[in-house]
Amino acid sequence: MPIVEKSLVRVKRTEKLELDGIDVSGDWNTFLESRVQTDLDVGIVDWVRSQPQGDTIDRCWQCGTCTAGCCMHTDYGLEEFNPRYFIYLAQIGYEEELRRYAQTIWRCVSCNKCVERCPKGVKVEEVVHTIGTYLEASGRAPESPADRFDRAYTENLLDRGILDEAGLFRTYERLEGRKTPVRELLRMGTSLLLSGRLHTGPLAHRTKGWRRMRPVLKGLLDEDLRQRRESAQATRPVGRREP
Amino acid sequence: MNPILVLGAGPAGLSAAAELASLGAPTLLVEKESYLGGNPTRWHYSLLAPDLRPAEEILGPLIQRVEHNPKIELHTGSLIARAEPEGKGYRVSLQSKDTVQTREVSAVILATGFDHFDSRRKFEYGYGHFPDVLDFKELEGMIHDDKVLRPSDGKPPRRIAWILCVGSRDIQIGNPWCCRMGCVVSIKQAVEIRQKHPEIDAYIYYMDVRTYGLWEDLYWKSMQEYGVKFIRGRIGAVSLTEGGKRLIATGEDTILSRPTEVPFDLIVLASGMEPGTGTKEASELFHVPVGPEGFLTPKLSDMNTIDSGLPGIYFAGAATGPKAIPDAITEGMGAALRAFQYARE
Ligand code: SF4
Ligand code: SF4
Repeated sequence: MPIVEKSLVRVKRTEKLELDGIDVSGDWNTFLESRVQTDLDVGIVDWVRSQPQGDTIDRCWQCGTCTAGCCMHTDYGLEEFNPRYFIYLAQIGYEEELRRYAQTIWRCVSCNKCVERCPKGVKVEEVVHTIGTYLEASGRAPESPADRFDRAYTENLLDRGILDEAGLFRTYERLEGRKTPVRELLRMGTSLLLSGRLHTGPLAHRTKGWRRMRPVLKGLLDEDLRQRRESAQATRPVGRREP
Repeated sequence: MNPILVLGAGPAGLSAAAELASLGAPTLLVEKESYLGGNPTRWHYSLLAPDLRPAEEILGPLIQRVEHNPKIELHTGSLIARAEPEGKGYRVSLQSKDTVQTREVSAVILATGFDHFDSRRKFEYGYGHFPDVLDFKELEGMIHDDKVLRPSDGKPPRRIAWILCVGSRDIQIGNPWCCRMGCVVSIKQAVEIRQKHPEIDAYIYYMDVRTYGLWEDLYWKSMQEYGVKFIRGRIGAVSLTEGGKRLIATGEDTILSRPTEVPFDLIVLASGMEPGTGTKEASELFHVPVGPEGFLTPKLSDMNTIDSGLPGIYFAGAATGPKAIPDAITEGMGAALRAFQYARE
């Protein structure tokens, strides 16, 4: 069967696949995953609605006014950033489709044009962020390089209360399993040194009184994350086939 | 004055008869069923849109004004078998259970109403075949008695879908018109169910949501206060899940641009409005022209839906096209006035 519509092809990645003893792991881009939606997950919209920033989600009637004026979608031209669509996916509960946008959804620049224009009073910008938070907190979206960078950044900052750029770079390289060529390292190192930001390792700066601040802040962040995870993971789709 | 004949005792006919009586005109009210109130009585309509008042509260007082009214001669279980012009009015033969009498009437109000579309004709939805596929007129009765249960196993549903425009806006079954009521009544039903049973999820499959005029408010409320969900697309077919216990609605979510096969416990069909059998008979009896849809054609549809343009014949209610109950009642009032003027001249 010839595949004419490229956008319909979703690459299927198999980490470990053997056929008749032959290793065929890898990307299979001519396998079409079924496009049939077989369930509606009320959990997503229930969760979004329960959040203080998400409680206008039910109002959306898909007119598209928000997307029409959206900085990211229209002005910047990032077509796949479509706040109207994100809201629909969350509202009706198409989680699988929604997960594809787990990264894109954070591209919102919070200009709030959508909120100004929505004829139904949806606080679009807040709702879109809440949907993003859901995807993150429910742990259902695959972790991306951007997520790992976020994590490394937060940990780095928490460590001394001030960012250690060179340290962040090292951690991130380790997380991604990357090796930057020595020449490139030297170039970056020089410019960091010249701009006075090469305080790393034992030389790193430290925020005053951070030893006492740190546990408090960390405790708060951990607790917040735990709560969001718990409530988002508690939502479960209603199964399609009966037992 | 010879009596004025009102044919049909639904909301429009009841209203016409009550107004005629209050004008002091002798009235002959003929209804082919044994009860008063038309379709709302027959199907036990629950609450009426948009203000969600019980149907009884609206129709009850009308029925009271008509029953035991000295000015109104009421014949239920009766029909007009023949009609001929006679002077300014008509001579009709009134056929009751086993009697036939000839009467002279000075004017005629046709309030013969509509029939709900027979959803079995939309066979791909399996109505009449799968017990859990309901017509929304049946759901009205269930909501009315607060017994919304799956007919197949008597269990409460967890998830209900409404399919709009069943037998409306559909050239395959020959009904291209809009029934006007399907959207608002389905939304109202979803609201009623969510009010009493918030644990039941309600989804409405729509092409457009036509809650015209001030009914828009109910549509907004259904989303914002009751979390009713709207999925754009017309369901193509209904089937059973593998175990045969739930229904699957197969369609396309046109916003998602993807096919969907979603399981539901109950599927409710918003069946359209067709000209009632009484309307067809009336058009033949009194030689009233009908439009391509089969509804009676007013003289100037752009001006009013009451004047037929034929001497002494007036229309009220859904005989001229799909209509809401308040519109039918209002038209009954207008038709009463017109017929009274004609008869008195
Ligand atoms: S403008 Fe408002 S109602 Fe329209 S699609 Fe955007 S969020 Fe929904
Ligand atoms: S606030 Fe975000 S979603 Fe809204 S218009 Fe601006 S960039 Fe787009």
